[in-house]
Amino acid sequence: MNSPGIRRWVRAWSRRQLYSFFSSLGALLSHRVGTLMTVLVLGIAMALPIGLYVSLDNLRGVDLRAEEWGSITVFLDAAETTDDAAELLRVINARPDATATGISPQQGLDEFRAASGFGEALDVLDTNPLPWVVLVRPKAMANMDIAAGLEILGEWLKSQKGVDVVQLDYKWLKRLSSLLALGNALVSVLSLLFSLAVVVVVANTIRMDVANRSDEIEILSLVGASENFIRQPFLYSGFWYGLMGSALALGLLFMSLHYLQSPLDQLLDAYGNSFRLSSLTFRQAFLVLLSGGGLGFLGAWVSVERYLWLLRRGGLLGRI
Amino acid sequence: MISFEHVSKRYAGGNQALSDVNFHIAAGEMAFLTGHSGAGKSSLLRLILMIEKATRGQVVVGGRNLSTTSMRQAPKVRQGIGMIFQDHKLLRDKSVFDNVALPLLIAGLRYADIRKRVRASLDRVGLFAKERSWPLELSGGEQQRVGVARAIVGMPPVLLADEPTGNLDPDLSAELFGLFRQLNQLGVTVLIASHDLDLIRRMNKRVLVLQKGQLIDDIPANTQR
Repeated sequence: MNSPGIRRWVRAWSRRQLYSFFSSLGALLSHRVGTLMTVLVLGIAMALPIGLYVSLDNLRGVDLRAEEWGSITVFLDAAETTDDAAELLRVINARPDATATGISPQQGLDEFRAASGFGEALDVLDTNPLPWVVLVRPKAMANMDIAAGLEILGEWLKSQKGVDVVQLDYKWLKRLSSLLALGNALVSVLSLLFSLAVVVVVANTIRMDVANRSDEIEILSLVGASENFIRQPFLYSGFWYGLMGSALALGLLFMSLHYLQSPLDQLLDAYGNSFRLSSLTFRQAFLVLLSGGGLGFLGAWVSVERYLWLLRRGGLLGRI
Repeated sequence: MISFEHVSKRYAGGNQALSDVNFHIAAGEMAFLTGHSGAGKSSLLRLILMIEKATRGQVVVGGRNLSTTSMRQAPKVRQGIGMIFQDHKLLRDKSVFDNVALPLLIAGLRYADIRKRVRASLDRVGLFAKERSWPLELSGGEQQRVGVARAIVGMPPVLLADEPTGNLDPDLSAELFGLFRQLNQLGVTVLIASHDLDLIRRMNKRVLVLQKGQLIDDIPANTQR
């Protein structure tokens, strides 16, 4: 093909696209109630996984003071002196990932006396039986899981001179991180399932569209329309369904977040915490719209392709 | 322009629609195809339109051998043929103008060109004033003429008609055949399947007669009977 030929072909192609584009919009507008119902179903289906994703994202963003969820208690040998304890404190505090405070045997005794109410009983003892205790708190490290960090820190502490027992306490931290991991997996599973639902809903809607317009398709085919020409408006319709569905899902999400902010503020106030609910970024919202449109397109393609396959076999051009 | 060489068509159910059909219609010729219903007229047209392929033999339309043409090329074949149907096959939710414009939209013409050609085509069939009407507002004869306008708007070299007068009274039928004759005089190859024997006789054109799938007679034009 020479270059004017190509130009002519491209122009004809774009005119056909334009025609399909507008005729698909016209078809959607010609049955508004049906379109609205489909878009509602799609919007609600898509709002669920997106909502869960945003909730998890927010949960991760809340200042949970994760480092407080784990701590290490180090008991020194009874023989260790104040100087030994001070040296260990200095070594620990020199590390970037931990801070330590010491509790002398006397402080420990006082605390015990105050807390337990067995003060008099303790007077029976001649000497203080308590060893030096060092409380170690991990600092949150940017690129490290706190639970794993604690594990490493604990091993290191055990190897220090004069350390008797190292007690790690991070059960809650483990529970929290497994809950978040479970939530992430749930988002993946739900996203997959609901994406499938979007494809199926659009496929079914387009299937009915195609069936309603089978006369038109037959006529188009008889006057020489290519499969692309027949397929195109339905694919655009599918894209519109998906796009409008995801736009509705985003709308539902923003409304829900807005509605949840004020009770959440009250709750967090009670914990002395302030927190803005974060929503999707512009980029993420755009991605949601795009994948909604893409899934709709895919659903339409499935339906139209099946119909065209039947048409190709001549099964539908029964009557001339 | 249209030639059949030893063409047979057998359907999956075992029904032998055409057996060993041979004929050739030259470019610019006008011919009728006649026979009782079930004689194979529709099957023959379906092969020309490439709705189906022949089981045996060769169908050649406009120099293209349809037996060796892929079904994917069928739209291209149909774009070169103007087809007129007994039941008009108009889109009821589109105006007369949009119906006639269909082949040009498929070809991807500019809107200005489409408008010009659709009006010229409607003018030729005498429906210039009806472009904004809806098909159901028109009489049967007018609807059939819209079908003709759609068939000729793309200026195809071949015009096929399947029982075009099936639902028309004798006057309208004669008028329609007159229109076909005019188009033929402009150089279009015309093949009309019809069982309106009176009218066919009066047209004085070539007549192909099918019976039980076989071409039993080929009467040349200008033969008084």
